[in-house]
Amino acid sequence: MAQQSLPGGPLHVIGKRGPNIDAVERVTGRAKYTGDIELPNMLVARVLRSPHAHARIVKIDSSRAEAMPGVRAVITYKDSPKVMIWGHRQYALNEHVRFSGEAVAAVAAVDDETADKALTRIDVQYEPLSFVLDPEEALKPGAPQLFSDGNLEGQPRILTRGNIEQGFAECDKVIERVYRCPTMWSGSMEPRACIAQWEGDKLTVWASTQSPFRVHGSLAAQFNLPDGNVRIIASYVGGGFGTKSAPHTDEILASLLARKARLPVKLQYTREEEILDSNTRFETKMYVKVGAKRDGTLHALHVKAYINQGAYHTRLGGLGNQATHVYRTPHVRTEQYRVHTNIPNTGPTRGVGDPQETFGIESAMDELAHELGMDPMEFRLQNVKRSGDPIARGGSGTEDGRVMSQVLDKCLEEGARRIGWNRRNPVPGDGQSGPLARGIGVACTERGGGGGIGGATVKVNLDGSAHVYYSSTDIGTGSRTTLAMIASEVLGIPLSTFRTTAGDTEVAPYDGGSQGNRTLQGTGRAVEAAARDALQQILASASPMLNNAPPADLEIRDSVVRVKADPSRNVKLAEVMQRRGRSVVGDGQTTQPQVGMDVERTTGAHFVEVEVDRETGKFRILKYIAAHDLGRPINVTVVENQIEGGTIQGLALTQAEELRFDPRTGGCLTASFIDLKPPTALDFDPRVVEPVIIPNEGILGPYGAKGLGENPCHPGMAAVANAIYNAIGVRLREVPFTRARILHALGEQRPAASRTA
Amino acid sequence: MADDHRDTPDQSVSRRAFLKGGAVATGALSASLIPGAADAQLPDATEPDPHRTTVELKVNGVAYRKEISNRTTLLQFLREDLKLTGTKMGCDRLQCGACTVILNGRTVYSCTTLALEATGGEVLTIEGLTKDDRLHPIQQAFIEQSGYQCGFCTSGQIMSTKAFLDRVPNPTEEQARLALSGNLCRCAAYKKILESVMAASRLMRA
Repeated sequence: MAQQSLPGGPLHVIGKRGPNIDAVERVTGRAKYTGDIELPNMLVARVLRSPHAHARIVKIDSSRAEAMPGVRAVITYKDSPKVMIWGHRQYALNEHVRFSGEAVAAVAAVDDETADKALTRIDVQYEPLSFVLDPEEALKPGAPQLFSDGNLEGQPRILTRGNIEQGFAECDKVIERVYRCPTMWSGSMEPRACIAQWEGDKLTVWASTQSPFRVHGSLAAQFNLPDGNVRIIASYVGGGFGTKSAPHTDEILASLLARKARLPVKLQYTREEEILDSNTRFETKMYVKVGAKRDGTLHALHVKAYINQGAYHTRLGGLGNQATHVYRTPHVRTEQYRVHTNIPNTGPTRGVGDPQETFGIESAMDELAHELGMDPMEFRLQNVKRSGDPIARGGSGTEDGRVMSQVLDKCLEEGARRIGWNRRNPVPGDGQSGPLARGIGVACTERGGGGGIGGATVKVNLDGSAHVYYSSTDIGTGSRTTLAMIASEVLGIPLSTFRTTAGDTEVAPYDGGSQGNRTLQGTGRAVEAAARDALQQILASASPMLNNAPPADLEIRDSVVRVKADPSRNVKLAEVMQRRGRSVVGDGQTTQPQVGMDVERTTGAHFVEVEVDRETGKFRILKYIAAHDLGRPINVTVVENQIEGGTIQGLALTQAEELRFDPRTGGCLTASFIDLKPPTALDFDPRVVEPVIIPNEGILGPYGAKGLGENPCHPGMAAVANAIYNAIGVRLREVPFTRARILHALGEQRPAASRTA
Repeated sequence: MADDHRDTPDQSVSRRAFLKGGAVATGALSASLIPGAADAQLPDATEPDPHRTTVELKVNGVAYRKEISNRTTLLQFLREDLKLTGTKMGCDRLQCGACTVILNGRTVYSCTTLALEATGGEVLTIEGLTKDDRLHPIQQAFIEQSGYQCGFCTSGQIMSTKAFLDRVPNPTEEQARLALSGNLCRCAAYKKILESVMAASRLMRA
């Protein structure tokens, strides 16, 4: 990485490679995750779950369970606060259960064996109701109703730009296609876990969450507590990927049990529970109609999407902005119908709806390019938004702002160069003999980042060492490291002296949490502000020790305060702090910056070369270029890890991780790793993934950094579908791309001559 | 130290004694919280309980002798009885490898190994790799190569690496991929994990 510079001078910490500052804890087993914490006299909780996809509880009797020795508390819907949890559709426990696996009761006992046995002694009488699993079916008249106001969640989300009818009328080529993604697993290696402890009317919950202050707010509302009476601690979190970004039922169940038992309660989900009762990636069915002028100018795009919200939702969900923010398109209409069905809760999962939307949009762009007889890469380059182009600032379709620091075109050009784009088959599926066929595909994507309120505190101790406190979390994104690097850069205090406290709502200010590409950018801005506050205090204290040199003329470098113009006039930071005799505490609380009309997005383009075996339907990935814009990288190693891992996660969706449901019972058929088949080191050769950082500098984030974490997961499905098309000439419009689907598509393939554009 | 028989009082409280509320070690728990009427249904504490067995095994070089419930998995024994929480539970179904430890030189999924099966054996966990606060070369390599993200599967990845490199000190990358294919990483840090294994091999041979 070349040394980069800012107006303030060259950077000393930011932009380097390096291990995470909590690496020792993570590789020695010393890092304490929620499940590793044990409190005195802590009870174990277990949850009873509905065997029915849709039912009313006619009668529930927990007296036999309560009478068991060792059982300390049992709760049913009767104990549940009548306060809706996040999605405003459910209580913690409900009389009306809406998916197979929904919690109906919970037990706290002295050990797991007792708790498990107690579950079998809760007598529940259900009135089974007819159920519906498909979102389009759920909107038809006569469909089983999950809620009194129907199965449609709120109003359809409709966004318009230009005039869609006129737009299509002006096109020379229009195609209509349907793309489907199933409900997909979203979990992490660490299943959901929480520990609730009451001390009088103060509630402390150790939770495996991405967003401690969201859980904080949820529990304060559930138990009608002042904010100061709630503390959430999420120090080490074993992955999240969106599943842990919203408040959930488990924290409420543990808190209810702990209050009833008057003892601390630990609730750890089993893997099956984690798969069934979490916020999983939602199914999408996208009807895409897209048209262009003869010269390849994209002109009109209509997307109608049905989104299977499952039984409940988490406020967050739906498609992203791929349809409106990637390409210059004068006429756009998107319609989203978010529909409740009797499958488990869905919610945000790495990229929320962006991977699904990218699959639909980027497959359709490829199909349109072929119909126009154009190179799909050239077609994209011709149409992608570039810096200065109009873009919507808010959620409306109106393009009232302009996109800045946009380098998607450069992602495309650099990615094409690295993959060897000119090696692709000029005619899809042609020019290859024998069973093995190779092809190359591309997909673009984008997302925003850094949203909302950031909060952090930076403390400098009397010996000159430093500490960053923040309430967002490090779920594997390296935020402890990158945030400390920002403070280290500002303060001139070496990174090695930093410690961090993450995920604690009692010691750190309010912050939005770790989701949506936001911690590095949003919390990072707050850390930068806190560090600058601390710096000013230190320089003011140092001034009298340097012949009253004005603080503005001072700087700190390697823990030495010195006069910028004459570094030989200096004093050690530790001496300044000793003389001062008090800690320095810097405060950083920031809002989303608004820079006039300017909008910043994080973009990327993925290029993949696949080899498809026409006889077995198996495909493998030969080469994968993941070219990303992320503004300025804070820690290059962290960036690579995010891109490499996120890419594999996106690729996983091409082959596995589908949650399938039994049409006869509504029960999930794939609620285990054996059935979901998340990839191992053998499923995709990790060595073929080449992360590419496109040089750039953002306008909103600390030191020009942009949030990145979600994006690498977006383009995999579309890029692979496009590459398979280039290899064998068949178009896959439904994921996962199983061998059966590929063989079936090959069987339906028409002679090559009629396929050409 | 290595041959100490450790059986600290607070860890040896049997569940039965706990339920009866008679054990002084559980004094913090108010006796009034224990349902008295149920006590009569429990077998007398002096009768040998066919559901419980005393196991003797070495963990990280330390000898332990403890009475446990027969159904106790090695994972539960390590995490709950010995408080060695570096070994993680990811699935409890031998499907993910987060619980990988080394038993008599070979990797096992501790979630589906009974503690009884380890009787007389030697178990090595992530906590046993660090000697006198000195990191094992494998841990050093995982740090240098950043072979992890969230860290939850890392103990298992490292223990698989240990057993593998002990048998194959100079592996090819293909051998390393195969050896670690029983350890899921949802963050999919597989590229850097593979680089860590290869770096560890170099460090251990240096």
